Amino acid sequence: MAEIKEEVNNGEELQLVIFKLDQEEYGVEITQVQEIIRMMETTRVPKAPSYIKGVINLRGKVIPVIDLKKRFGLCDCALDEQSRIIVVEVDDFTVGIVVDCVAEVLRIGTNSIEPTPPVFSDLSEEYIKGVGKLENRLLILLDINKILDIEELEKAG
Amino acid sequence: MDMSDYMSMFLDESRENLQNLNQCLLDLEKNPNNLALLDEIFRVAHTLKGMSATMGFTTVAELTHEMENVLDKLRKGEMPVVPDVVDILFQCLDTLETLITNITNGVEDSIDTSALIKKLRSMLSMDATRAEVASSLAEPLTTEEEPFLLTDELNEFEKEVITQARGKGFQIYRIVVSLEEECLLKAARAFMVFRELEEQGEVIKTIPEVKELEEGEFQKDFQIYLVTKADQQELVQRVITVSEVETVDIVELLLDKSATQSVTENAVEIDKTKQTKPQPVAQVNNNNGNHKNKLSQTVRVDIERLDNLMNLVGELVINRTRLEQIGLKHGLNDLGETLEQVGRITTDLQNLVMKVRMVPIEQVFNRFPRMIRDLAKELGREINLVIEGEETELDRTVIDEIGDPLVHLLRNAVDHGVGSPEEREKMGKSRVGTVKLLAYPEGNQVVIRVDDDGKGINPEIILKKALEKGVITEKEAEKMEAQDIVMLVFKPGFSTAEKVTDVSGRGVGMDVVRTKIESLGGNISVQTKVGEGSSFIIRLPLTLAIIQALLVGMSKEIYAIPLSSIEETISLAQEDIKTIQDKEVILLRGNVLPVLRLSEILQVEADSAEEEQDLYVVVVKTGQRRAGLIVDKLIGQQEVVIKSLGKLLNGYRQFAGATILGDGRVALILDITFLL
Repeated sequence: MAEIKEEVNNGEELQLVIFKLDQEEYGVEITQVQEIIRMMETTRVPKAPSYIKGVINLRGKVIPVIDLKKRFGLCDCALDEQSRIIVVEVDDFTVGIVVDCVAEVLRIGTNSIEPTPPVFSDLSEEYIKGVGKLENRLLILLDINKILDIEELEKAG
Repeated sequence: MDMSDYMSMFLDESRENLQNLNQCLLDLEKNPNNLALLDEIFRVAHTLKGMSATMGFTTVAELTHEMENVLDKLRKGEMPVVPDVVDILFQCLDTLETLITNITNGVEDSIDTSALIKKLRSMLSMDATRAEVASSLAEPLTTEEEPFLLTDELNEFEKEVITQARGKGFQIYRIVVSLEEECLLKAARAFMVFRELEEQGEVIKTIPEVKELEEGEFQKDFQIYLVTKADQQELVQRVITVSEVETVDIVELLLDKSATQSVTENAVEIDKTKQTKPQPVAQVNNNNGNHKNKLSQTVRVDIERLDNLMNLVGELVINRTRLEQIGLKHGLNDLGETLEQVGRITTDLQNLVMKVRMVPIEQVFNRFPRMIRDLAKELGREINLVIEGEETELDRTVIDEIGDPLVHLLRNAVDHGVGSPEEREKMGKSRVGTVKLLAYPEGNQVVIRVDDDGKGINPEIILKKALEKGVITEKEAEKMEAQDIVMLVFKPGFSTAEKVTDVSGRGVGMDVVRTKIESLGGNISVQTKVGEGSSFIIRLPLTLAIIQALLVGMSKEIYAIPLSSIEETISLAQEDIKTIQDKEVILLRGNVLPVLRLSEILQVEADSAEEEQDLYVVVVKTGQRRAGLIVDKLIGQQEVVIKSLGKLLNGYRQFAGATILGDGRVALILDITFLL
């Protein structure tokens, strides 16, 4: 995906849900998002890695919730009114991710997405699909599948 | 109904038929002279042939066709039932099973059946000579002397069948069935008619040929010649119930020589348009005992739907609890009464759904006779397998999972347990070893036992091996009692087989068996006596979806402990806790019981506010081990619905899952087996 360039994808668009973690703006493809819910009380899972915030009851289904900021080692700011849980579906399991706020849904042309710059904050490069440029904003496109990679989680746990 | 609906019906029925075939073949092997069995086998092969041809699975159809040829000879006594034949039939069965599995999985039919077909054919030709001799000696009626039959459409052979049948008091009918003009699936309808009639007697001929019927190559009507004891009227009733059948004409064929020319036009015609509702006809059980009557009213339901239903009932239970709490909070007595009513209904509903999900363990047990037979042959053992309690019912999820562990236990019983005939003779036992597979309900659990009458498990040998393999240390060994030593066979990396065979002794088995059974919420134990045999006893919960649990509180968190692992709860004072070698223990009625602080195990942040005097201890057990868990408070017993934690958290085995509490919060369910 590093080689996505003009001639091939000219005119194609991605629809992204943009959310904020700390000061940075991130995007996930809307097709992966099942719903966005308000922050709710989570049940801690003892001995799980710290970035697994716990489990919640999503209309009778128990789903795990991941704290992306902890996952990425960003600041551990308190949750507030703006905090949301984005419920994403990857492969055949559902996970909630806690974000500081959900900003908007927007379309971005694939030709304005650039491969990950070699040095990029604290995020491990492989979680990033690319960086979207929109006027003067930079949007970090997350690869949800990578973030939720089970084996990786197990290693981390 | 489109073709895919037929597909699942076809697959289900094929599997049933194959299972039936398997059973019959096994019985046939024991009783080669049982004609009823041969008839049944023939019928099954025939049904399979018909269905697969209709569905266009030619490989299956061809193979079953060849089988039929052999079976036909067998049942007519033109060929003896020798072990070779049974072996080949077993091979056919295996191949058919593979074919059906392939169809199920959507794999192309790519199995080469030609070798098998060749074998079947050689069987026929080999026996042709022998059969000729036999038949020339014993043929009671030669075809030339046959009385002339009413219709020219029958050939000599068919006439003979009819003559013989008449002699035994059967009637012969010619049934002309017309389908509706706009009938789309003529083949399927014809097949359904065919099956209805086959249940009543034997179809000796069809016009057009069966093959053409199966392919739907006929206009709107077809004829079936049926030999039966059933009543005309009833036959008509049965056929007319098939959808899209327009009319049914039935004519009795007489075999009287004098009446050769004039057919008795005893035609009964029923027009479906006139008959709004077919009259229920009392079921006349006319078959000769070898035709299984599958008339019990059943509906096949997609498993997923049952799971959904179960989930919904689960939701209902959760919300009922929630309502109860609201009622309590606001002191609404009227609500309480209504809720009691709702409670009864949900309990009934829950029991019902649970029952629906229950399947007889027969499904699993069925395949074992064959497996044991093959295994015994392979290992040179003589085994008598006794199966009891196959009607015992278990939750479908358990049934799906229990097969493999049982296979393993049975293989062990045959391989290690029973021993070779020579060994057995030396020990003064009969050459034939007995392996018993028993299932029976016991309270809220189901017990499955695998018993053998072999040499038993010698604790000394086990101990020696365990030390050799480093499964335990010398120090541990000293303290162990015989019972504990035997349990060592369930430790990972343990195998006592002198030589590693294909069958058992790879050293992974028993450990995997135990893990599997524990993951199903059950446990396994062994009872053994050297020289007399061993029993492996599996205890499984009746169902996995809804359990009784004790809710306990730890500071602000709530956890559920399955009632099945709880022995009792006690409260005691702080100073009752003693320490032995730095481990905390209590004295419970004279026994030393280790205690664990659950808040430490689960890293719960201590609620510093209260420093209580009394401690609550939940005494739990798993297998042979017991321990006391110290908790902050006991909340109460409640029915909880187990929800999976999902793939992401499946690795955390100290939790059996999660449940949703009355207030909508999630509580984790502790898995005691992995906690201790």
